[in-house]
Amino acid sequence: MPDQQPPDDALLASLAARDLGALATLYDRYGRLAYSLAYRILGEGEAAEDVVQDAFLSAWRGAGSYRRDRGNPRAWLLSIVHHRAVDILRRKTTFRPAPLEMAESQPSDDDTALAAEKNVEHRTVREALEALPQAQRRTIELAYFGGYTHVELSELMGVPLGTVKGRMRIGLQKMRRALERTR
Amino acid sequence: MNEHVFDELEAYALGALDRADAERIARHLGACESCRAEAAALAEVVGTLPETVTPRDPRPVLRDRILAAARTDTPRPTPAPARQWSFGRVRLSRVAFVGLAASVIVLGAADIDAYQRTTAITAQRDQLYALIESLRQGGREWYMAGKDTFVGAGGTLYDPRADGKQPFVLFHDLPPMPAGKVPTIWLVSPDSTWARAATFKPNGQDIQAVPINMEVAGFDRCAVTLEDSPWGPRYGTVVMESRIAPPPTQQ
Repeated sequence: MPDQQPPDDALLASLAARDLGALATLYDRYGRLAYSLAYRILGEGEAAEDVVQDAFLSAWRGAGSYRRDRGNPRAWLLSIVHHRAVDILRRKTTFRPAPLEMAESQPSDDDTALAAEKNVEHRTVREALEALPQAQRRTIELAYFGGYTHVELSELMGVPLGTVKGRMRIGLQKMRRALERTR
Repeated sequence: MNEHVFDELEAYALGALDRADAERIARHLGACESCRAEAAALAEVVGTLPETVTPRDPRPVLRDRILAAARTDTPRPTPAPARQWSFGRVRLSRVAFVGLAASVIVLGAADIDAYQRTTAITAQRDQLYALIESLRQGGREWYMAGKDTFVGAGGTLYDPRADGKQPFVLFHDLPPMPAGKVPTIWLVSPDSTWARAATFKPNGQDIQAVPINMEVAGFDRCAVTLEDSPWGPRYGTVVMESRIAPPPTQQ
């Protein structure tokens, strides 16, 4: 049977036309992922729900200004979730924890391998991330999930800013190549 | 054109720039096609990172909350003219409100002719119809009187009896909000847990209905605060509050 689900681009076009059904479909498609991401960053269910609600309402209001050349709809939506969550994290944390151990004590996802196996891309992403040298992986995770700026990471990890940038660049390049091989 | 920003695009994609740098990069991307293409490719890679996170299910009510908020998030292309009617410091009874709402609908109908059926008025009328229907079927209500700079304003929390009817707060005479403040409705449980029930923007009208996206049952207090953020725990000053009396015991 052919897949009757509208593609993400069509959903955003419908959102721009104020179609509540399209919003419901978008939520059914990405609500869980958005919540999981917000929870991973904030470590708190209520705040994560607030972030997800805010992100979907932003998408509802801003779908008309979405531009495909800035990334696909899924990445766009998740970037809203990410920005909102990190913004809260940074405001909540008026000072950054100095010891690296504290940063690394945030919720861990070491138990997620099985859940991620269900999808080839999920598995590829996870394997690509795990295959990175520890310094590159740690830099990417602390930046993305921990909300640290690259300048803060430089201080936190005790390495020059150029090194932080290099770790990000090489790590993301490796992940990109791994993803391209699966597509 | 400014120089390319390739060496900052990874940090930009990861959200690892401070606000000023992120805005600078965003402005550059608006004008530089090659950097924009690279940024989009990196965004798609970074956009896969959530796949590495432990999947978690939000509470089912979140979906309803989002759809309810979107449903009432009506675009208002033209500000409606100031109404003639005012409630002053009078507490609205249910009967008075129904009569008033009916009057507003009539005025709304006239406005539709006069102001070429603006989306805002249509939405307001529909909302009032829904409220009247809720009130017709009974329910409970609690009045929150304004404090301090909100003296003279107030809000009535209505919990309709009918299944499927959403609770709401009907505000009157809300004063202008301080810049940057987010009016927020809370329900407070007996153990003093504050649950964010709704945030809203004052519409500049004498009355305003704000839907509540959660059940009132189980809470023993309602309040309105002015927050700095539309999310997160309560930090703001309480400007209205009321005890929520438990429902009468069945004989």
